[in-house]
Amino acid sequence: MSPALSIAMNDLRLLLRDRVNAFFVFVFPLLFAMFFGSIFGGGGEGRGRMTVAVVDEDRTPASLAFVESLRADEALAVGGPMSMGQAESLVRQGKTTALVFLPEGFGEASDGLFAGRSLPIRAKVDPSRRAEAGLLTGKLNEIAFRRMTGLFSGEGWRDRLALARDRLAREPVAGPRGEALGTLLDDLGVFYERMESADDAAPDESGRAGEGGGVGGFSPVDVKVEELTRDLAGRPKNSYEVSFPQGIVWGLMGCVMGFGVSLAHERTRGTLVRLTTAPISRGTILLGKALACFVACLLVQAMLLGFGMLVFGIRLDGPSAWAMMGLAVLCSSVGFAGVMMFVAGISQTGPGAEGFGRALILILTMIGGGTVPLFMLPGWMQTAGMISPFTWATRAIEGALWRGFSPGEMALPCVVLIGFGAAGWVVGVRAMKWTT
Amino acid sequence: MLRLDGLRKSFGPTLAVDGVSLAVNPGEVFGLLGPNGAGKSTTIHLAVGLLSPDAGRVEIRGLGPPTDPAARRVIGVAPQSLAVYDDLTGRENLAFFAGLFGLGRAERRRKADEALEAVGLLDRAADRAGTYSGGMKRRLNLAAGIVHDPSLIVLDEPTAGVDPQSRDNILGMVRRLAQRGRTVVYTTHYMEEAEKLCDRVAVIDRGRLLDLGTVHELIARHGGDTTVTITRGRGDHARSDAVPTKDPARTLREAMASGGDITAVRVDRPDLETVFLTLTGRSLRDA
Ligand SMILES: Nc1ncnc2c1ncn2[C@@H]1O[C@H](COP(=O)(O)OP(=O)(O)OP(=O)(O)O)[C@@H](O)[C@H]1O
Ligand SMILES: [Mg+2]
Repeated sequence: MSPALSIAMNDLRLLLRDRVNAFFVFVFPLLFAMFFGSIFGGGGEGRGRMTVAVVDEDRTPASLAFVESLRADEALAVGGPMSMGQAESLVRQGKTTALVFLPEGFGEASDGLFAGRSLPIRAKVDPSRRAEAGLLTGKLNEIAFRRMTGLFSGEGWRDRLALARDRLAREPVAGPRGEALGTLLDDLGVFYERMESADDAAPDESGRAGEGGGVGGFSPVDVKVEELTRDLAGRPKNSYEVSFPQGIVWGLMGCVMGFGVSLAHERTRGTLVRLTTAPISRGTILLGKALACFVACLLVQAMLLGFGMLVFGIRLDGPSAWAMMGLAVLCSSVGFAGVMMFVAGISQTGPGAEGFGRALILILTMIGGGTVPLFMLPGWMQTAGMISPFTWATRAIEGALWRGFSPGEMALPCVVLIGFGAAGWVVGVRAMKWTT
Repeated sequence: MLRLDGLRKSFGPTLAVDGVSLAVNPGEVFGLLGPNGAGKSTTIHLAVGLLSPDAGRVEIRGLGPPTDPAARRVIGVAPQSLAVYDDLTGRENLAFFAGLFGLGRAERRRKADEALEAVGLLDRAADRAGTYSGGMKRRLNLAAGIVHDPSLIVLDEPTAGVDPQSRDNILGMVRRLAQRGRTVVYTTHYMEEAEKLCDRVAVIDRGRLLDLGTVHELIARHGGDTTVTITRGRGDHARSDAVPTKDPARTLREAMASGGDITAVRVDRPDLETVFLTLTGRSLRDA
């Protein structure tokens, strides 16, 4: 193994064994991201109830009745009816979790249920709210089946059965399914006669076929949910897309502090003497140290992004967003490895310098998006924040995550980050002292 | 093995090393003896290339200056501070340091265990260094300096602040290294240690090399005469005569021959302490 690599691995091992350091590098940023993500509401407004915009293109009594059933549901906050365009833009902006779309033909299908038609219901959801999308699918099925039981009960059944027989005669359904339907209609006739004589309500289970149930792959309810690709206008889709970049800022800070002062401690402790008397150059030693910080920066960012994606619905749309994120993570890791060298260098210039270095980094972290999200800062603060490398890391990460940066737009923060890294390296190496 | 030529080093106004020249022979245990602040550590740092001298030069025999990687490979250092990682186990510490000298994985571990064995820490190999006692850390510090099997071993106060058990272990270790033909440079301000262990001793004070030689030579040059103190009579009548002499046996015979009621005899042979006192006008311990 090359000496730089073994120094880097040793430093990473030391980081993981130092509980306090490891906590500030890996655990604290995650807690921060989760905490601030949750207090600002996972998905904007409408906490508790899922917000749904309704688009009714059918406008038949059946569709209106369905919309009323949606409204009546406790778990949903229903807006509309409105046009498709309006509803889509609400979802794209993250103002509404999903839209429910009843296409033309909904009413006809609901009359033709017994003739093998299924009830078409479409929904589009914000991809960052996958968990809620599952809930919506269940809800729509439930409401549709509940309505169907309503169709079977009550007085209208004789007419509907007749209507269905008519239709089946006019547009026969081929094969076993047609035969099955015929038998079903006959049986249903018998069923309702008996029910009426028993003067009982229709059993609830009758409609609970669930998705994919039914005869020969036929389901009376056809719910399709698709994802509405996100709006590139550049707004975070949920608060975790804001809090996770903030968490990353704290993670990067943890790396800079942890490795920056470790070099100073190695010097006072004397282990640096061992490194410098080994047959390796000082450049190799610094490279090993920087490499350790670089890898830790990569790890902490990958961990936070991975966690945010798996658990909190933050999302990268498409290969280009992934590529941009890769670039952002890489450049900020390079940049902060350099910033770490700067801290290491100035931490050694005398007593109190280490405290100064820590304070400086803390301030840069806070104005660089660690405390208040950058876009919420007043204009002059945003300008002032540009002196902080953390600002640029935040911009790059957000650029890939929700600002929809093009390669051209990503170039600026990346170049600035590398610039900070190079400057930090040069200043740090110059200030470096090798003996006590 | 190691040659220092007119070394000079100052830190601001402090002249820490002032024109030190000496040569250490292969296979010898060479002591640098001097009080606190004498410039021992600075001399050693110059010798191993940690510091660069303001003037003068250092050469490792046949390999050039100690900053040269080839020269570094043959040097092992145990600094005065406990230069080990507390969060690593004894074995991990040594394996890491051995790795810096380019040893492969299996080789690293084998050498680490050999060095741990040599300083009697093999049974604590899997414990973190942070849990070691002061004496054990000193021994680990020494082991880290020899793990890559160097031929020139430089120890800066390897016995500072340790218990007698660890001290015996460390001194035994130094002797064994010398028996195996290694060259050891050793700083201390304990003259008993220097007397017992070192083939040759250099006396340093205030950055200057005052003299250099075997313990015998130094005492012969600067120790002066042995003092024979003869007490005659008892109680209030007791009377002591201190007689400086080159030949205490003869002085004693003469005293016996001259008769009288000899009640006590004391022979004070000069030692390194005396040498230091003569050389600097101060006692080593007060300096
Ligand atoms: N980095 C430094 N900066 C300033 N002065 C120093 C530095 N290192 C050593 N000195 C000074 O140089 C002189 C020699 O110090 P050195 O450490 O070599 O002494 P020493 O003989 O090793 O002492 P000790 O027995 O206490 O270890 C002292 O006066 C010390 O204060
Ligand atoms: Mg010293």
